[in-house]
Parts: sequence; C-alpha cells; structure tokens
Amino acid sequence: MKIIACYSNKGGVGKTATAANIAHEFAAAGQRVLLCDLDPQGASSFYFRVKPSKKLVEGAFFEDVAKLTDAIRGSDFDNLDILPANMSFRDFDVFLSRLRNSRSRLKKALKSVKGDYDLVVLDCPPNISTLSESVFKAADAVLVPVIPTTLSQRTFEQLLDFFDQNDLPRRKIHAFFSMVQQVKSLHTETIAAMLAAHPKRLMQARIPFAAEIERMGLHRAPVAITEPKSTAAQAYRDLHREFAERLAAE
Amino acid sequence: MTQDALYLLPAAAIRQLQGDVAGGLHFALSPDEDAGAFEVLDDFDRSLGRTGRVLIAGPGRLELVTAGGLLSQPADAARFVPALAEGPVKQALADLSPLRRLLPQAGGRVQTAMLALLDDEGKTRARAALRFLRDGVGEDIALVQPRGLRGYGEALALLRDQLLAHGGTVADGRLLRRHLLAPEGETYTAKPEIGIEPEDTAFDVASDIILAHLPVMRANEPGIIADLDTEFLHDYRVALRKIRSVLSLFKGVYGQGQTADLKARFSALMAPTGRLRDLDVYLIDRPALAALVPAPLQPGLQRMFALFEAERGVVQARLARELGAKSHHKEMTALFKLFNGRRLLRHGPAADRPAQDLARQLIWKRYRQITRSGANLTEATPDAAVHALRIHCKKLRYLLEFFAPAFPDPRFGAALRPLKRLQDSLGQFNDCSVQQDSLRAFVAGLDAAVPDRLDIAQSVGALIAALHSRQLAERSRIAAGFAGFNDDLTREIYRDMFCDQEEAA
Repeated sequence: MKIIACYSNKGGVGKTATAANIAHEFAAAGQRVLLCDLDPQGASSFYFRVKPSKKLVEGAFFEDVAKLTDAIRGSDFDNLDILPANMSFRDFDVFLSRLRNSRSRLKKALKSVKGDYDLVVLDCPPNISTLSESVFKAADAVLVPVIPTTLSQRTFEQLLDFFDQNDLPRRKIHAFFSMVQQVKSLHTETIAAMLAAHPKRLMQARIPFAAEIERMGLHRAPVAITEPKSTAAQAYRDLHREFAERLAAE
Repeated sequence: MTQDALYLLPAAAIRQLQGDVAGGLHFALSPDEDAGAFEVLDDFDRSLGRTGRVLIAGPGRLELVTAGGLLSQPADAARFVPALAEGPVKQALADLSPLRRLLPQAGGRVQTAMLALLDDEGKTRARAALRFLRDGVGEDIALVQPRGLRGYGEALALLRDQLLAHGGTVADGRLLRRHLLAPEGETYTAKPEIGIEPEDTAFDVASDIILAHLPVMRANEPGIIADLDTEFLHDYRVALRKIRSVLSLFKGVYGQGQTADLKARFSALMAPTGRLRDLDVYLIDRPALAALVPAPLQPGLQRMFALFEAERGVVQARLARELGAKSHHKEMTALFKLFNGRRLLRHGPAADRPAQDLARQLIWKRYRQITRSGANLTEATPDAAVHALRIHCKKLRYLLEFFAPAFPDPRFGAALRPLKRLQDSLGQFNDCSVQQDSLRAFVAGLDAAVPDRLDIAQSVGALIAALHSRQLAERSRIAAGFAGFNDDLTREIYRDMFCDQEEAA
C-alpha cells in the first residue's frame, strides 16, 4: 500500500481537484484507492457527493477504529472509496502514524472488501505546519500543485527548505504546474525558470486553468467522467501516467 | 470461489423501476448497451441440464449459474472442459465428461445496463449490474447482480428487497433454464430403460431392447458426421453392440434365418466404425501412452500419432459420408419399422417363453461358465482363455442390465458390482493386448515411403514392450477380481435370484 499526500502550503492552487481527479485516474487504472478527505475546506468528498459523517465530525473517533472504517463510503466509481473525515490536528497525526504502521488496528481495519487498498490518497489540509513533518514522513510521495507565479515559486522553495531542514528526502516531492495559463507570459517564464532550477522535482504534465475544472463543483464528478474529451481531462490523464511511472520507479 | 447473489426478473419489471422511490432513494436505469452474443452450452448428454445448471458463454465471460449462485471466469474459446482455462467455472464442471464437447443449446444477444439507487444528492447508494438476455423465444429476462458500495449496507438491503417485491427471484440454474430453453420433451439418453412386465415374452423383450437402441444410434449420427466429439461414435457403437448381443444371447427368440439376416445387417452397420474408434482411443490415450516411452524415443512416437491423426481425418470423412448416405437412412428406417411393427419378424422356438424365465436361465448359465473358467485361471493360462472369460463377463453384464427391470431385488446391485470390478481388470488386460496387436500391424504396414520409418518402428516397439508389461501386471489383478466375484456371498445372491430351484436341487 502506497500513501500519497496531496499537499500545498498555499491555498487555492487546485489541490482538492487534483486529489479527486488523480484518485479517480488511479482507480480507473485498476488500483484499489482510498481517498481520505482531510481538508475541511477542500471537501473532496463533496466532489463525490458523499455526505460527511456526523459521527466523525464529533471527533474522538480514534479510540474506536471500527468507527473510522465504518465511515468509509464507496464512490460511484469502481475501486474508489472515500473517507470523509474532518479531523482535528491531533487526530490527523495519530491517523498518519497508524496508517504507516502495518501492524496497527487501523491498517488492518482498512482492508476493503476485496482486500487491502493499493493506494491511499490524502487530501491534506493546508497550513498544517505543526503536522507537516508527520505527513511527509508517512507519505511515499507528496504531490504538490504549483501555480507558475513568483509567489508560488517562493512557497515551493520554502517547502524544499523545510525538507532539507528536517532531513526529509527531497525525492518524495513530485510537483507539477497547476492552473496554467499559456497566454500569460509570466506563467511561461516562471515555468521555464523553475524547470531549470528543479528539473527532477517538477513533472512535465501541466494542468491548465480550465472552466471544466471549476465546473466540477457543479457536476460533482471527476472531469474524466463529465467532460472526458476536454483538455483538462487529458491533462489529468497525462499527470496520472507520469506520476504513476515515477512511483513505480521508486 | 466467488459466488455472488444473482436475481432473475422479467426485463419489463426492471424497466418499470425507473424513477420509483423507495426508502427515500430513487431508482435510475442507465440506457441499454448491446454487449454481444451469448450461447447457452451443454454437452450432448445434457449433463448440466440434468443437474440444474446453466452455462452461459457471454461477451467476455464464461458463467455458470447453479443452485448456489453465479460462478464466473474470463471467456474461453475452448469447448472441452479440460481445455478451459483454470477458474471457478472449470472447477465446477469437473464432473462433466472430459471427452464431451460443450454444444450451443440456445443463444441470443445480451444488453447490459446499470440500475442504481440514488440519494437526494444524486449519489449512488447501491446498484445492480443488469444483463437482459434476448433469445427471441420467450419474454426477455434480466439477470440482476446487486453490487454493494462500502458503507451503504442499508441501501443494498433495500435494493434486494425491492427486487424481490417486483417479482424477482434468487436465480438458480433450474429456473434460468426454464426461461432460456424451450421446454425439453423426451430427452436423449444413451441408456434407455426398458420396462419388463411379468407376462412379457422373450420375443417382446428382445424386440423392445432393439427398438429402444435404434433411436440412440440415430441420435448420435449427426454428432459423428459433424465430428463434434468422440463420444458420439462411442455411444453409437455401444447401442449397436447391445442390439447385436441381444441377437446372439436370446437364442431361439427369432427364427433361424431371421436371426442370421439381422446379425448380418447389424454387423454391416458396425464394420465401418471400428477403425475410427481404434484411432480415437489411441488419440485420447495419447498422453498416457507417450508417458510409457522414454524421452529419446518420443519423436518417433509423436510421428506415429501424427500419422494416426491424418488417418483419422480420412476415416472420419468416409464414415460421415456413409452415415449421411440415403442407403444408410433407408436401412435404419427399415430396421425401425421392422421392430416397431414386429409383424414381419419371424418367431423362433423360444419366442413365447416368459422373459423372466429365459433371463434366469441365461444369467445362471453364463454365471456358471464364468466361475468354471475363472477357477482354472493361473499365470500360465493362455491369453485366448482370458479373452474368453472377458466375453463371458461382458455377456453376463448385458444380460443383467437388460433384465434389471425384471428383478426389482435390492440385491441386484450386489450382483452387479463385483462383476464390474472383474470387468475393469479384464478390460485393461484386453486393451493392452489388442493395442499390441494393432501396433504390430501398424508397423508391419508402414509404407517404405514414410520418412523416419525406422524411428517410428523403434518407438512403437518400445510402446509395445511397455504395454506388454502392463498387460502382465493386469493379469495378476484379474485373479483378485475373480476372487471378489466368486465369493460365497455373491454365489448365494446369484443362486437365489437366478437359479431354478429344481435345477439346483
């Protein structure tokens, strides 16, 4: 079982859309995927029409692993389940450490009907600075959307510094450009500069700034389902292919 | 083994569910998609039909509906069970004859769709995969396979309840069969049962047996002609052999000239089938025979099998022509009329004897013959004597099987079982012996022009030697089989059932 953290230390970068679409792509490719909605603002479960579990909102559920796994809901798509969870920071930390521990009751309880999940995708809350270290330790890969602007470039470099300062391996970071607008010269220039500076950390696939991604909130389904022929859907397919290759190569 | 619950509903009932509301959820039905063709498969003996199973070769999957639910594995072009890819369906078909081809019994198109129970936000809470089977015969039916989504157990239970409330039933093979296949009339059986009444004469019973086996022969002809599998010819020959054994066993039932004429006619029907059956047996036994020969001699042996295969093609085509010919059809029709009407059959001196009486006499006489010749059996007994014993046993077996309905004695099975065991050993012994002779004839007849002739001869020589030693081993088992047949208990049963008490005294 691999754990992917969809993370950004900056809001509004398309992180939740990425988590939802990439989880769907992995599931469509045959992997058994659990998408954990851990971001109260992002609400990736909203995209899958899954209602948040009242029990889980009330907290303290970590004392009862069964309660947590009972909250898992099958999505409308094969191989893709959702854990709608608004966790406190403390709960989230415990959740991560148990997820990594193969002997933990959580890990065992997570076994789906067909066996274990192949992939757990975490839609992480932003600004989890106190917990970032645990997230990065627990995850096999950290998927980071970056808008090609000067500000995002700075935030990305802060993330790299954070990894260095905490002795975390930089190779866990798999960043890609998000909400790209080809017409903006600032975007193309930033992309060129960042690719030159961090060739190994940045992937080739780019997610465009696209109306169909914004419409996900309306359709409440992955773009591959609602607008399969759109450039956005193609972009997520490309991102999945490249990211899956990088995961396999590790 | 994965067994999913499967429901069966009239297609119309499913379509009516569209838009229905239940438990705060509403049904949504996706548009149909044509998924391809399906066939319902069974072997010629209807092994699946008899056991309440339905095998469906559908688009992409091979599926078996049993009383316990649905088994599924990827589609397979193979039509013999041993050739199927490993999977739960193949496992569940293990009781079928490996020699029987799975033949299409019915077919049509499959349309697929999805039935979903949605909540107020349009989220699927439970769904069911639908397959509409259209065979163009009866009403379209839907195979419904509910699929739960994790965390929505209640909705799944609701869906199941709704299916049952709308006329659904948990599908089992028998039910599905009734929907898919036209009602089965008189089903074919290779072993027809012939009722024997106490007042029946020997003439009645002999003619009944022959009349019952003529349709068995006819039923197998199309399968032989189309070369569907080797069992068609086998069953054809067994039926024919039973008819011939009636003629030779029921002495004096038909007039002398009549018997001779019938013997000649049935013998003429048997003659063209012999070589094909021999070749079939070689090719069926191919792996077992090959295992008897060491590796360096394998190429020669495989060349022999290749020659057999080529010859089989020729011999099969010839037999197919004969069976398809008008003259064959005329002869079979004439024989059927003869035994159906019976007015033209000339009676012999034993014709009017009570059948049961004659049966007792024939069985007891044959039993005594076997015990006499079996008692003298030693390692040194010539093969010919062993063969004679085998023939006696075979005749006794036929007599017992023919007259079984006349002896509703619970000990009848106990009379038959030790005989079957003895026959198994004798049969093995005989097969080894016959195959050695036929292989020697094969080598002697090898055309000088056949390439690798010497290699083949050498390999066949090794095979003959192996068969010979197997024959010797089998011979030692015959004595044991005979002891089982000749024990006090069996003797008592035979004496009680078949020996005329006056004669015994």
